[in-house]
Amino acid sequence: MKEIVTVKLENEMDLILAHKRAMKLCEMTGYSLIVQTSIATAISEIARCAIEYGREAVLALGIEAMGAKKFFKAVIRDKTDFSLRCTEACSFAKRLVDDIEIVRNSKEITITLQQQLSFSGTLSEAKIESFANYFKTEPPLSAYDEIRRKNLQLQELAEKLRQSEDDYRFLTDTLPLMMFSANNRGVISYSNKWLQDYFGFVPKELNQATWQVVVHPQDYPSFGKDLAYAVAKNTSFNGQYRFRQKSTGNYLWHIITVIPLKNDKEIVNRWIGFIVDISAQKQVDQTLKDNRELKEIQQQLFENQSELQQKVIELNRSNYELEQFAHLASHDLQEPLRKLFFYTDVLKKKYNANLDTSGHAMLNNMTLAASRMKELISDLLNYSQLQQQKLKFETVDLNQTMSEIVKDLDIIIREKKATVNIGNLPVLNGNPLRLRQLFTNLISNALKYSKHDTPPIIDVSASEEDENIVIKIKDNGIGFEEQYREKIFGLFERLHTRDQFPGTGIGLSICKRIVELHNGTIEADSVPNEYAIFSVTLPLSNTVDVLIEE
Amino acid sequence: MSNDIRILVVDDDKEDHLILEEYFSESGIHENVKFVENGLRAIEYLEGISEDAALPKLIVLDLNMPLLTGSQTLLQLKQNNRFKNIPVIIYSTSESDNEKRKCLSFGAIDYLVKPVTMEEGQRMVDKFKSFI
Repeated sequence: MKEIVTVKLENEMDLILAHKRAMKLCEMTGYSLIVQTSIATAISEIARCAIEYGREAVLALGIEAMGAKKFFKAVIRDKTDFSLRCTEACSFAKRLVDDIEIVRNSKEITITLQQQLSFSGTLSEAKIESFANYFKTEPPLSAYDEIRRKNLQLQELAEKLRQSEDDYRFLTDTLPLMMFSANNRGVISYSNKWLQDYFGFVPKELNQATWQVVVHPQDYPSFGKDLAYAVAKNTSFNGQYRFRQKSTGNYLWHIITVIPLKNDKEIVNRWIGFIVDISAQKQVDQTLKDNRELKEIQQQLFENQSELQQKVIELNRSNYELEQFAHLASHDLQEPLRKLFFYTDVLKKKYNANLDTSGHAMLNNMTLAASRMKELISDLLNYSQLQQQKLKFETVDLNQTMSEIVKDLDIIIREKKATVNIGNLPVLNGNPLRLRQLFTNLISNALKYSKHDTPPIIDVSASEEDENIVIKIKDNGIGFEEQYREKIFGLFERLHTRDQFPGTGIGLSICKRIVELHNGTIEADSVPNEYAIFSVTLPLSNTVDVLIEE
Repeated sequence: MSNDIRILVVDDDKEDHLILEEYFSESGIHENVKFVENGLRAIEYLEGISEDAALPKLIVLDLNMPLLTGSQTLLQLKQNNRFKNIPVIIYSTSESDNEKRKCLSFGAIDYLVKPVTMEEGQRMVDKFKSFI
């Protein structure tokens, strides 16, 4: 059917409208006044029932071509089957038109009234189209008709708006960013799904309490300040802050933008905001930054390494020089000395008779000076060899070492009437020759720096202290002043004149070096004229077996 | 005269020649000692002797010498069929254990440190004497 005009059937006014339109269309199709009235009456009968008993009934008037014939048709559709309550009207209508047909299905009822057109041939398609146009542009039949039409237009617009809003809502809900709008008092009028999912709740109002829940505690102070400023000044607000994701409890970096919206009178009445996740970007930034720092560290490391390399080169050179010195000391310095000894010896033996007493004394002094030099060279050589040596370690029983030392020093011990008490000493991992040299030096020193009138008493003991083993050599000799505690281990350091105590000032330097080569430390402690204690501290890890009995 | 040479001393130190001569004359064998100043001269001298019987009975080698060092000279001697059986004693200022081990492994029969006192010198020369 070609639909020409429709009428919604809701009240009495619509009934009049339906009647008028039916009369008009019938008139236009060329029916006689009697037929016009019959058809319009029939339609009005059914329409009246629809208004009274039906729901959302609509009347459509149109023309349908069936083969060569054309028919006027009036179709009334309704969502409820009101026909059962208007059988009388239906049968009345049936007498006024050619045919009436009632079709029901689960959704609606359709009642079609039909009347054949008298002059079908003259009704072209264009003509029928012009009928439709007539009804579209016809002036309102009444004030009601006008209101009715406007109302319809508004309803259509509202429907379109609703659809459009649905579209936008769907769009904003699927966007991976948070959106909201709020009025001047902070009451939220809209928030999208992403925001609700992220925060885990639907905020009703944007206020301090709401923000404090979602903004990172560290970021909140500056966030609160900046937002308050923007609201007070009606300006937009923009910043990067961490917001709490409810589902994970993590605070992720976001950019928030809040913009004020002004009405016609330039007064801010609403605010809209977006919160965009930038944690990935932050992560990239951080990674880049880390990478840069790593590169800087690498560069620093590289510089340190080359510096170290330079130091190693310098050290190697210095080691080489030391080696050269050792060679010089061992050969070139000893060579003339040997001859000096030889000639003084020859002088003494062969030319003895030709020298007077003073000449003999000088010759003796010469020999003594040469001896000192020999001793000095030998000590220096010893020390320089220690500087470059990597010691071979083996198991050393210090008890045995000490008893050998006491045997070696037997003559001087007896001469000085000294007593040497040796406690239980550990078995160590060390270099036997160097450990023996170390303790020989220390015991010799204890014997050497004794008091004239008191026989030396030397106590050698060992004890465990923390992770170390401490071996102490204590004497009752002249000792030294506190201020020399460190100094005495320095190369060529001497606290006494040669007349008082002969020596090269290298002995304790050698001791220190040996202890260091055993990863240990050496310390001295004294009360002048009472005692001196030399403590050798070695790591327990060096110890093979600690033989200390309490 | 060459028949009388029983000890060949190779040392670049002229003073040591004098000192050794002193000891040798004390022992009365200075006529049987030939001094040369380096290893090259020593080889030349030995090659100049045509009869094996006339070769020295002992060679005393200093280590630290120019041109051919003591240990190099020692190696050359030990590789020469005519000279390899002549006993060689090293005498040096160096007390290095490494040097000593090396020389003994090359075939020296002894390694002596140069003497300091007259007694030590005399003892050394007495040792040399035992070879001639």
